[in-house]
Amino acid sequence: MPSTEVGYVRRELPEKLKTIGLSLFAVGTGLGIIGFLINPERTSLSYLVTFMFLVSIGIGSLFLVALEYAVGADWSTPFRRISEFLAAVIPFLLILVIPLLLNMRNIFPWTHKSIVNSSELLKGKTAYLNIPFFIIRSLGIFIIWWVFYYFIIRNSRKQDSSKDQLLTKKNVNISSGFIPVFGLSITAIAFDWMMSLEPNWFSTIFGVYYFSGTVWCALAALTLIVILLNERGYLHRKIDSEHYYTLGLLMFAFTVFWAYIAFSQYLLIWYADLPDETIWFMHRWIGPWKIVSLAIVFTHFIFPFFYLLSYKVKMQAKKLKFIAIWILCAHLLDLYWLVMPGMPSNGYQYYFSWTDLVFPIAGVGLLILIFKYLSQKYNLLPIGDPKLQRGLDFHL
Amino acid sequence: MSENKNLNSVAALFDTPNKIINAAKKVKEAGYTKFDVNTPYPVHGMDKAMGLGQSKIGYVTLFFGFAGAIFIFLFMGWTMAINYPYIVGGKPLFPFQAFIPITFEVTVLCGSIATVVGMLAVFFNLPFLNHPIHDSNYIKEVSIDKFGVVIEAQDPIFERDKVTEFLKSLGGEKIEYINEPEKEEFKILQPKFILFLVVVAALTSFGTFITLNKLMYVVPFNWMDNQRKSNPQSETNFFYDGYAMRTPVVGTVAKEFMPYPYQGQAQPEVPLANPTLPTEQLLKMGQEKFLTFCSPCHGNYAQGVSRLKGQFPPGPTLHSAKIIGYSDGMIYNIITNGQNAMPSYAYQIPREQRWAIIDYIRVLQRAQNPNPSDFQAIKELNKESGKNAVN
Amino acid sequence: MNIDYTKELALVEGNPRLADIDEIITRPLTQPPTRKYYIALSISSTALLIGAYSLWLTLYYGIGMWGNNIPVGWAFDITNFVFWIGIGHAGTLISAILFLLRQRWRTGIARFAEGMTIFAVMTAGIFPVIHTGRPWLAGYLIPYPNQHLLWPNFVSPLLWDVFAVSTYFTVSLMFWYMGLIPDFAILRDQTVNKIKKTIYSFFSLGWRHSNRHWRHYEKTYMIMAGLATPLVLSVHTIVSFDFAVSLIPGWHTTIFPPYFVAGAIYSGFAMVMTVLILVRKVFDMENIITLNHLERMAKVMLLTGSLVAYSYLMEFFIAWYSQIPAEQYDFWARVVGPYRWAWYFMISCNALIPQLIWFKKIRRSVTVLFIISICANIGMWFERFVIIVQSLSRDYLPSSWHMFTPTLVDFGVLTGSFGLFFTLVLLFAKTMPVISIVETKSVLEGAQPTVHGGSDHE
Repeated sequence: MPSTEVGYVRRELPEKLKTIGLSLFAVGTGLGIIGFLINPERTSLSYLVTFMFLVSIGIGSLFLVALEYAVGADWSTPFRRISEFLAAVIPFLLILVIPLLLNMRNIFPWTHKSIVNSSELLKGKTAYLNIPFFIIRSLGIFIIWWVFYYFIIRNSRKQDSSKDQLLTKKNVNISSGFIPVFGLSITAIAFDWMMSLEPNWFSTIFGVYYFSGTVWCALAALTLIVILLNERGYLHRKIDSEHYYTLGLLMFAFTVFWAYIAFSQYLLIWYADLPDETIWFMHRWIGPWKIVSLAIVFTHFIFPFFYLLSYKVKMQAKKLKFIAIWILCAHLLDLYWLVMPGMPSNGYQYYFSWTDLVFPIAGVGLLILIFKYLSQKYNLLPIGDPKLQRGLDFHL
Repeated sequence: MSENKNLNSVAALFDTPNKIINAAKKVKEAGYTKFDVNTPYPVHGMDKAMGLGQSKIGYVTLFFGFAGAIFIFLFMGWTMAINYPYIVGGKPLFPFQAFIPITFEVTVLCGSIATVVGMLAVFFNLPFLNHPIHDSNYIKEVSIDKFGVVIEAQDPIFERDKVTEFLKSLGGEKIEYINEPEKEEFKILQPKFILFLVVVAALTSFGTFITLNKLMYVVPFNWMDNQRKSNPQSETNFFYDGYAMRTPVVGTVAKEFMPYPYQGQAQPEVPLANPTLPTEQLLKMGQEKFLTFCSPCHGNYAQGVSRLKGQFPPGPTLHSAKIIGYSDGMIYNIITNGQNAMPSYAYQIPREQRWAIIDYIRVLQRAQNPNPSDFQAIKELNKESGKNAVN
Repeated sequence: MNIDYTKELALVEGNPRLADIDEIITRPLTQPPTRKYYIALSISSTALLIGAYSLWLTLYYGIGMWGNNIPVGWAFDITNFVFWIGIGHAGTLISAILFLLRQRWRTGIARFAEGMTIFAVMTAGIFPVIHTGRPWLAGYLIPYPNQHLLWPNFVSPLLWDVFAVSTYFTVSLMFWYMGLIPDFAILRDQTVNKIKKTIYSFFSLGWRHSNRHWRHYEKTYMIMAGLATPLVLSVHTIVSFDFAVSLIPGWHTTIFPPYFVAGAIYSGFAMVMTVLILVRKVFDMENIITLNHLERMAKVMLLTGSLVAYSYLMEFFIAWYSQIPAEQYDFWARVVGPYRWAWYFMISCNALIPQLIWFKKIRRSVTVLFIISICANIGMWFERFVIIVQSLSRDYLPSSWHMFTPTLVDFGVLTGSFGLFFTLVLLFAKTMPVISIVETKSVLEGAQPTVHGGSDHE
């Protein structure tokens, strides 16, 4: 077993992960394909929710990596690799997006000439909302993300053997450049893939809203995997409750941040009471959606807020694992809530479909497969990083 | 060295943070409980070395923060929805969304005030200016760059010489014996002090009076109070007769004045016909005006039962055959001009309202002397509504 | 220059001893003021007197002395209010948010920035009160059972402002004073002057550096930071609600809350930078307020300036995307309308000039940073001016469009607000330790033990 100077002992993750991942992915994808064959209209929306979830995890994780470099944080260095592995979803987005691009007419009302021609508002928007520009935007953004991912991750991996501090410096520069690009691109993704589902509606804060969710979700995924691996001794014995505490604190902070952004959007629209804007919330307040909307408030804010408020909870691995899973589910529910109620603007009523449950299974399977594959090739700790020792010695 | 009864504590100084951490650990292990460590800044790990647990002050914040939040939320709801129901901007009476910002602010305000004041006043018992440790060389050195341990004489296993030796063995320098401060006597009621208070009180009141009434007194917007005009019923030298108020020009008629041409005529009721239709709305108005102006003397049902208890001659009943026989114009003339003890109501009751009152009086009279067809009508009404309309 | 990533940057340069820290920080308190100080004080108090005279004119003759007129009912008054409240935000950001993020470089600048918060909020608080025209009736904003049996309107964002600003002031003041207590105790133990000793004893409350106190003290500091962080966001959020809940084009847009907060932090850091560059020069504190501090502050300015630029972009994009003619016209009028000069100031100072900070040479040049920070202050004032005056002067009905022309009294009040702020800052710099002595000591190299208190737990 190769051992390094920081005391990291590399161990392979169990082989059965591959089986689990593969079977989840195969079952999910198989059922998904059946769904696409039977009912492409409804299934493409189910697929969109999971696709956005994978975007959240991928780009959120890359943002966490870039943030660590840009602000020079050291406490998170020991588990930066985990976020890097999760960010490996980004190259796959270019393939995963294909079913959506093929089904655009089933998803976006503004792709239909008849709908656009019946509305003066939509006619005015065609300069932005048209199919070629939309495809160029989405693919362009995914490629830009891929380029940044490629360079940041390559430098980080190179450092494992070379231990060259210059690579950190390079990555600091790349990451600083990435952050503004990230801000603009994630806004465009949020506007394109979710706001334009109800093309008459608009909200300037929507990009920030989606951003707060992505980072929250990426943090939860990171926390969950760090704790799971560390409990089984795959990471480092010096990663302890004080690291967990900081992760918990960040999750808590983003819980509050999301609530702040969501409340700002809601209050301003509620107060001004303009029909153009309230329609979006009205779609989410009719019938069973009322319950879902209230459930979002509870799962996305109230419960995690009070749960993570205590100092002790943030120190305990078991409780953090629970809330991390909770947060992942809450983010998925949030995306579902953003996408599905927009259906009436596409001409048909909402109904629940079994395909909604299928794609998350495939998504989790895919994440496990990617993680397992990368963990075979690379260390779980960035052992060449100059900040690693400081990160391991981190104290509150 | 002789035992000093006033001994409060024994103090020792250390040079480096490592030494003080070790010293604190040893003191703790030796079984002392009433000891303290004084450091120029918080030293990491000292709480563990001294065996202190987590601070519990967070619960104070939590309690007062949420108490404040609940109070202000309910308070806002009570003022806006219950105490003075008030709709703003088309929002419901209890717009809880709009209460969230203030609820949040008050949570923070209550939580932070309770925490800081609680910490200083309750947890630390500050201000505590006459603590024996003040003004010792020990605290002065700690203030700059030394780290010190004090073991108090109150400790159950305290023995002066033993403690001294113990602290020396830990590497403590400059052992200092800190004594209780001598009791100072403050005579509150000294004549000098009382005189001082009186002088201060006098100066303050005089100063405040002068400042507020003479120096700082400014009437803002005073041109609204002091305008160049003459008020009615005041004197003026502008007009030759000295009156500020002028009489109207001869022949002036008030706006919307309508003459009453039947004044003093023998049979004014003949040309006066009721111009109104007895609609439900009109009758409601007639009822309201009747109850206001007529009922004090004529009674609530016009039966001649005065509410004035003899202070004014009671009005006659309006159900007499004579009055039932009056034409509407006759009653109108009476209300307008008055009759016997009844004064004119022309200035209190506008024209339409007078006619409305007359219509209402007719309703009252009909109710006292109903036709058989009226009973039939009521029966049919009862059938429709399912209620007993007579009651 | 290559950075060694295995170590943290030294927070205090020149490797001073603990005792030297006392000497450096308390020097301005023990030495008589220099001629430069008197010159600065006379300039600022002159400005203050101009403001006081303008304010007296306003109170005596009414707010007709200002240029405000319908439809521009809010102009310099509210612009100044939002500007000064924004300045205050940097202090709380540095003392609370950076504390929670464990950015230990904040120690050098936290106290000063907190002080500036308090003075800025005091300055800001004047404006909403005087712009009502009858400030002596402001007491009715407090919900007490008054003789009219009336309560304030809790649904109005203007009342939320009252609560937000007063809470912000109270909490900032407590936070600031709490940090000052141990420093007053140090001054008390070192001074030989009897009067000073009495004053310091009074304010230090008999603090005795006891570890049994320190443990609660640190926890309380943490809690206060945790409470102040959402508070600082909420204050400018509520200020933004003043505009955004209305229907005026250019005001009603959902990004206003985070946009205002980012702008506030940007302008606040600019002001802290401006003042600290002067202070470190005048009081010889280059070792404690180092170039690294300035560089990091510049980076925060770059971040927040870019966030502000992002918000401008969003506003313009959504104004077009919404296809609402009034919105579209309002934003177009910003670029080509009669107030375009203000918009150009705002865009260049807030969105373009801070982008220079991407270059390391500029980040480490004190002169350039000073100029950038001044630009940012100007730009942020104009941002509020554009939002308030431009939007009000061009609302839905073209027949009621009207330009706003400021009067001399308007400028007098603006000058006075700067005078008040800088007079307070100057007095503060001479009477209290402008850098936290205790915190600076605790981040010196070798100040923390290498052994740990716990027996086995690391």
